[in-house]
This record gives sequence, structure tokens and C-alpha cells, in this order.
Amino acid sequence: MISVTPKNLSEQNVKLDLNNLSPEQVALEIKNLDLYYGNKQALQNISMSIPKGQVTAFIGPSGCGKSTLLRCINRMNDLVDSCKIEGQINLHGENIYNKHTDVAALRRKVGMVFQRPNPFPKSIYENVVYGLRITGENNRRVLDEAVEKSLRSAALWNEVKDRLHESALGLSGGQQQRLVIARAIAIEPEVLLLDEPTSALDPISTLTIEELINDLKKQFTVVIVTHNMQQAARVSDQTAFMYMGDLIEYSDTNTLFTTPMKKKTEDYITGRYG
Amino acid sequence: MAIASKSADFRKVKNSLAKWVITLGGISVLFTLVLIFMYLLYVIKPIFESAKVEPHAQFAITESSKVLSTGVDELKEVAYSINEQGIINFYQLVDSARNKAGTKIHSQKLVADGERLKQLINIGQEQKLLLDSAGNVQLIAPKFTSNFDSGAREIIPSVSYPLGEGYLPVDENNAMLKKLSFAMDDEKAIFVGFTEDSRLIKTSLIAEDDFSYDTEFEAEYEEINYAATQVDDILVTPDLAMVFIREADQVAVYSLDEESELKATIIPQLAQSKSTPNHITSMALLSGGSSILLGADNGEVSQWFEVATEQGREFKQVRSFKVSESEPVTAIYTEQFRKSFYTETPSGEMGMFYTTSDADLWRGQLHQGNAQAFAIAPRADGLVIFSEQELSIFTVENEHPEVTWRALWQEVWYEGYPEPEYIWQSTSGSDDFEAKFSLVPISFGTIKAAMYAMIFAVPIALTAAIYTAYFMTPGLRKKVKPTIEIMEALPTVILGFLAGLWLAPIIEIYLPAIFLLLIFIPASVFITAFAWHKLPREYKAKIPETWAPIILIPAIALAAYAAFALSPVLELHMFGGDVRQFITNDLGINFDQRNALVVGIAMGFAVIPTIFSMAEDAIFSVPKHLTSGSLALGATQWQTLIKVVLLTASPGIFSAVMMGLGRAVGETMIVLMATGNTPILDWSIFQGMRTLAANIAVEMPESEVGSSHYRILFLAAFVLFVFTFVFNTLAEFVRQRLREKYSSL
Repeated sequence: MISVTPKNLSEQNVKLDLNNLSPEQVALEIKNLDLYYGNKQALQNISMSIPKGQVTAFIGPSGCGKSTLLRCINRMNDLVDSCKIEGQINLHGENIYNKHTDVAALRRKVGMVFQRPNPFPKSIYENVVYGLRITGENNRRVLDEAVEKSLRSAALWNEVKDRLHESALGLSGGQQQRLVIARAIAIEPEVLLLDEPTSALDPISTLTIEELINDLKKQFTVVIVTHNMQQAARVSDQTAFMYMGDLIEYSDTNTLFTTPMKKKTEDYITGRYG
Repeated sequence: MAIASKSADFRKVKNSLAKWVITLGGISVLFTLVLIFMYLLYVIKPIFESAKVEPHAQFAITESSKVLSTGVDELKEVAYSINEQGIINFYQLVDSARNKAGTKIHSQKLVADGERLKQLINIGQEQKLLLDSAGNVQLIAPKFTSNFDSGAREIIPSVSYPLGEGYLPVDENNAMLKKLSFAMDDEKAIFVGFTEDSRLIKTSLIAEDDFSYDTEFEAEYEEINYAATQVDDILVTPDLAMVFIREADQVAVYSLDEESELKATIIPQLAQSKSTPNHITSMALLSGGSSILLGADNGEVSQWFEVATEQGREFKQVRSFKVSESEPVTAIYTEQFRKSFYTETPSGEMGMFYTTSDADLWRGQLHQGNAQAFAIAPRADGLVIFSEQELSIFTVENEHPEVTWRALWQEVWYEGYPEPEYIWQSTSGSDDFEAKFSLVPISFGTIKAAMYAMIFAVPIALTAAIYTAYFMTPGLRKKVKPTIEIMEALPTVILGFLAGLWLAPIIEIYLPAIFLLLIFIPASVFITAFAWHKLPREYKAKIPETWAPIILIPAIALAAYAAFALSPVLELHMFGGDVRQFITNDLGINFDQRNALVVGIAMGFAVIPTIFSMAEDAIFSVPKHLTSGSLALGATQWQTLIKVVLLTASPGIFSAVMMGLGRAVGETMIVLMATGNTPILDWSIFQGMRTLAANIAVEMPESEVGSSHYRILFLAAFVLFVFTFVFNTLAEFVRQRLREKYSSL
């Protein structure tokens, strides 16, 4: 058995009752979500509430549907042709799969960071302001402020402040990933989705990003997908364990890792499969 | 164990064999390229070499009296001299079976006993007019025949009389002639002379049949109205059209048609300064007979020819050569078939020049100012000089005087043109034609054809590439991409053939339709897209998204039909029934049936697959995680395309366009068949052009191997090579820069 001491527990002792959240505590509500790739069902009847201002982790073995679920939250699955979705995801009580939803506007509210760092082949500055520029913001002062603020939030400012106009591709992998996070938070989303953000990084960069996630939850609701259980234990407040398209167990991180309710969860966290 | 080691050996052999074969292949490709380059340079090199004159042979020969004229046969084996006593002597120049070099092999007295030669006038390089002391006129031409009786070639010299052996009746009154000139063709010989009693006479001998086999003629006499007591030079042009009469510093030009009349007077504006009186000292007719050369005592030779001006045709000084710093130009000798001329000054300084290319070919001293007679060998590959006691033969290496950097790339004032121009006209029906070798119009044509092709091809190819790579469903993409790429395999000769014979007439007839299409097709696309957007969802659902673009096909077909149907109506009501006439008369633009529009479409069609294929690959290979990254930031598909996809793919798109341009520049068959091959300098879309590639294809089969024309065509090939080389290098350079800047992960 892996011994885990979630360090955030010492900081935050408020435990939430995940099944009985008050409406103002909820950032996202997923209701009876089914997802099909062609004829294959990838997600089965997922229902969960993601609390505001906290870090929620999705864990589970490869192919369990955790990334798919994450991508449903900002409708990135729309790009996959054969994908069909039933059920609801409510943001501010409104279903994002509504016919009239402006997908671009949704994605500005629900930002996303991918597994591999993907800075654009532009300068560091232009990468950060990309999200603002596409909404038509061209005021130099606004952009400058946003760059400094988001780079500081992403703990990158001190490293790059002297070379903002150099290519972003000259940064190291860990710096690139923090740049991508800065780019995502520059448009001030409500929710930040992190899809295995450290899987392509070295241990030291991973540590930096994990510390960053801890800071980010002060401003944003963070949802993180990870296959690294220690990471989930270290950074998250809530953890959802998924298996074969089903949500098996969803509770606060400490409970899930120390006293799991389900046999499958225990088998997974003790390393019997995965 | 044995088997294992055997197979290891075999693997080693295979490995090293593969290594060597691949190395050999790579090196031979490079080697071939260098070889092509070297061969082009090897063929081109002679045209930029300077002329050389070198002594060939010298013989100590003492003539009994002053030599008036000399010459040599075509092979430079026998030379002759004609002296004041009226004797022609032939000398062997090379050892032969019968004669040693330097011996006199034949001698003949040309005048009656007791007479001497008073004057000898060289007409061209062969004919000589002899005026003896009794006032008789004879026309002779030294003749050389080859004889092979002794087993080896022997040149047998003799004297021929082109107008018969008798004295020629030049003056009705049999007065003594002070000056005389003459020219003839098969039907007519014209003499213009100035008599001692100051009459300017013109005598035409009209052949009863044909001078080439019968010397019977009838004489016609005419007196030209000319008031002067002194004439310095008379020159009749070989085409019997004009005569130039110089009196001191003034040249009168008379036409020799039915009635002789004064056409023009040339009065050169010589730099008049008191210390150096400036006067004309010599005059000669340039090969072809349309230009005269005037030598002055300030050491300058000027070229004059007739030019059309607003006041009609008049003679103009076109260019001048500074032959000598201080000495007067005492004689000008012109070559018979080329526009080269030699000059001579009293001290024996000689110079060789070429008029068209403004070339100062050679200068040197061939004698000590004591030459009695000078002649250019018939093939212009040698010189003969007779001085008092010596006969000298020189070889001349001057194969390509008409080619200079200036003549190829700068404006040149050609004979008969009103001003200097860029002209490519390499051949003509006549022998004394001035070849015009400006590479400017054909290089321009290459660029013009490529530009129009790119204007047509780039928008279509790039939008198609963007759509196929970025918006099309994978299933449809798999079918569309190979289909367009197959277009590349279409032989360009078929495209050229269709463009020249099918498309060009259609465009001419339906010209308004072509321009309507420019408006109708985009408009129909926008209208269809808008209608599709507004269509209720239940109808949209019936057409699978894959096939949605198909609905554009009937819309575009309808637009095209409408354009063609409207064309005659538009033509009738707006352009007075005929667009072609409207363009030519009302707009003042020349219209060629095979024009840049036809070439642009046909060659654009050929270039589209090249650009499409490479650009599509570049756009398609933009990593998906970059597009997702942009979309996840709330960008629309369109914003993602413009700001991320095209930016990242820009090196690939750029090289696709440059590859297309390279192909358009080198393309031959389409431009050969659809441009009309007119080497003109005009950007107009309704005018044709001639490209470097088409020019080579058209003219290479008819150019004489080793001639200037042949070598200039190789130079054109070299220029084409440099064009593509520069385009590709530039493209590669820019692409590397872009790639450094925008390379994705």
C-alpha cells in the first residue's frame, strides 16, 4: 500500500460533502453524461459536481475515459467527427450542450492545457496575448498588463521578463508548459482543465507545475487529469476514479486514497492494475 | 556456427555494397549537374573573347611599280597584287605540289600596251574598276578555281570580267573620269561618276538577259543635277538604291530609282575649334549598304543611317568611335558580310570595330605607315598588306564581334530604327541583315508568362490546399488530393495545344464572358454559402456534411453559363458589337489572339497541382495540438487557420509557390504553343510574349552550329539556368529563415 499524505489537507481542513453541495459552491455539474465514439460507448452515465475554487483530479487506468470526460467540459470533442454526446454539463445552471451555446465563448470560460506543451511559433508575449487578441483586444497597455499578470501567476515572469519578444520555442519544456498555462489564464477563465500537464516533463518541472496548481485554485476552479496517483494525492482536493467509462468513486482525496469505498478503487491505488 | 558467420559476412557485403551504390548515385547526380553547367559555359565562352590579329606569313616581294590593290582567295592560299603598270600578279602563299610559298604563279597585263592604270576602285572585296590613262573603264574580278589534277588541291588563279572584256561605255561623251563608283545585280549595273568637265553622271547598263551568264547589255545615260567642281568620294549602295557623294565635309544622298533625285544632305557637326580644323578624311559603306561611315581628322569615325522622324526620313548620326587621339582616319575598310570595319591612320595604327555592338575589338600596328594596299580576306579571317617590299598575311580571330554585354542587355540603335531599342530578331531572309540579339525581351517574356500564370494559379491552388487540408473530411480528402496530383502528369504539350488552338479562339470570341466569370464565380460561391447558412436544419441534415461542397458545382456551372450567355449581349450593347475592335480602336490596346491571358490560364493550370500538392502537405502537417491549443483558447476555426495554421505552414506554402514559379519559368511547350512567340516588351494582358525556353526550342534547330546565334541560344539557356537557380536559392533561403522562425514542435 502506498502511503500518501495529501499536503493540502493541512492547509485546508474544510471538507465538502460532494453529494450535497449548495448551488454557489458548484462550478460544474455533469448530469447523466453518455458519450459514444461511433458505436462504441466511451462514457456511461457520468454524474458529478465539481466544486468551485478547488482542485479536482480524474484518475484511472489508460483508456478509462478520464481525458474524454475532461474534453467534454469545453467541448473539444466536437472536433472528433464520430463523437456523439447525450446528457448535460451545466455551467452556471446552463447546459453547455445547448443548441445556442457559443462554443468559442464557452472555451474562453473553460480554459485547457494539454499533455504536451504546445506554444505557438510566436514570441512569448504573443503567445500570452493570443486569447486576448482574438477577441479584438489590441490596446497595448491592457495587453502588457495581462502578460505580466498571467506570467506572474504562472510563476514564469522572473525567468522570461527580459526576453518577452523572443520565440517561445526557445523555452525549456517545463517553461513552455507554464507559458501555456499563462496563456490559458490570461483570458481569465472560470475553470481550468489540465490534461496530464506534467506527463511530458522532468521531475523538477513537475514539482514547479504542481506548486503552481496549488496557487491557481485561489483564482480558478481546476480540473486535472493524471495517471500519476501521487500527483493526484499531492495537488487535488477531490479525486474521481474512473474505470472503463464508469465513474467508480468520487470523494475527497484523503478519503479516496486512505479508505476507498470500492474494491476496484483499492485495487487500483494499491497497484494491482493500471 | 558456420552458417551464422556466413550470414554475417553476407550482411557486411550487402551493407558496403549499398553504401557504395548510393554514394556513386549521389556523386554522379552532382557531377552531371556540374557537367551541364561546364558545357554551357564552354559553348558560351567564345562570344566574350576579344578579337586577335596575329602575323601569319611574310614574303619579300618587290613589285615593279606601286601596288594599287591586293587581295586573297577564300582559303588564304593565293594572294594577288595589281600595280600601276596594270599588271596583276598572283603569289602562292603556302607550299603546294607545283609551287613553293612566295613564288609568283601567274601574271597578266590588264591594260592595253603603252597604257598605265590611273585609278583603281575597289568595289566590295572582289570587283575592281580599272581606269587607265586613256580614260577607258574596265571591270575585273580575280578568280580562283580549285584543281585536283595533281592529286592535291591546287588553286588556279585567273581574271574574270563580270561585264565583259571590252571597255565599258561609262560616259556618253567619253570624258575622263575623276571619280567613279559602281554596283550591280543580275539585271542592272549602275555607274555614278564625276567627269573632268565637272558633270555628275549616272550610267545604267541594263542586261539583255542576265549578267550571270550573258554580258550583253544596253546603256542608259543620265546627268545628275549637281553643282560642284570637286567631288571627294562616290559610293553606290549594293542594292542600287542610293548613291552617296561627298564633297569636302558634306555628303549628298541621291536616290537611284527611275529619276535620280536628291534625298538628303548629311552635314556632320564636327567639333569646330581653331587649333584643330576638323574635316572628313574618309568615307565607307557599311555591309548591307544602309549605313555610311565617315572618318574625320580628329580621329573619330561616325556611323550614319536613315531614320524615320516626325519630319520624314532623314540621316542621323547614330554612334561614333574614337579611333585615334590625334591622327586623322585616312581609310576605312569594311567587311563584306558583317558590320565590322577596320580603320587606318597615317602612322599605320589600325583598329577593328563593330558598329551594332559598339565594340572596340582590337587596335594595333601592322605596318610602319608604308602600306600600299590593304585587303580583308573573303571570310574575314585574315588580312593582306602590301608594302613596298613585303607581302604580309595576318590571321584574324574575330568570330563573334556582334556580341557584347551591352548588345545583349542594353538598348541598341539598330539600322533603320528611330531610336535605340531592345530587340530580339536573330535571322531574316536577307544576307546583309543586322542580327538583333537583345536578351531583354525574351527574359522579360519569361517573367511575364510566369507572373500571369502565378496570378491565375496561386489563389486557386492555395485556397484549394487550405480547404482540402483543413476543412475537408478525411474520406473526401483521400479522393481529392490524388485526383489533383494526377493533373500534374498531364503532358504539357496537350495543354499548350488546347490552349493555342481551342482556348485562345474561345477567349477571343467570349472575351466579356471571361471577365464576367471573375465576378460571377466568387459571387455565386458567396450566395450559395449564404443560402446554405440560412437553410433550415432539417434540410441540411439530409445532405451528409462530406458532400455539402458538392452543391457548389451546379452554382458555379450556372454562373459560368450565365457569363457566356450574357457575353454576346454585353458585347452588342456596351462594346459596339465587337470587343476586339473596341479594345484596339477605342482603348488603343493591341490584341493578340494568343496572349498573356491564354498563357496565364493554360500554364496556371499546369502549375496548380505543383503548388497545391506541396502547400496541402504543409498545411496538413501542422500539428493537431497547435490547432487544439488555439481552439481551446476560444479562437474560431477561421482565426485558428489564419493565426496559427497558415503561420506555421508558411515555410511550406512559400516553397510551394516558389516551386510553382520555378516550373512556370522553365515551362516550354505551353508557352511555345500559346504565346504567339512575339518577342515584345509589353505587360499588356492582351499581348503575347516569347520566353527564353520557347526561344531556344524554336530557334535551336535552325541555328548554325558554332555561330553567334547558336552560342547566344546557349547563353539564353544559361540565363534560364541562372533564373531557376536564383529563384530556388532565394526560395530555400527564405524558407530556412521562415522555418527557423515558425518551426513547430
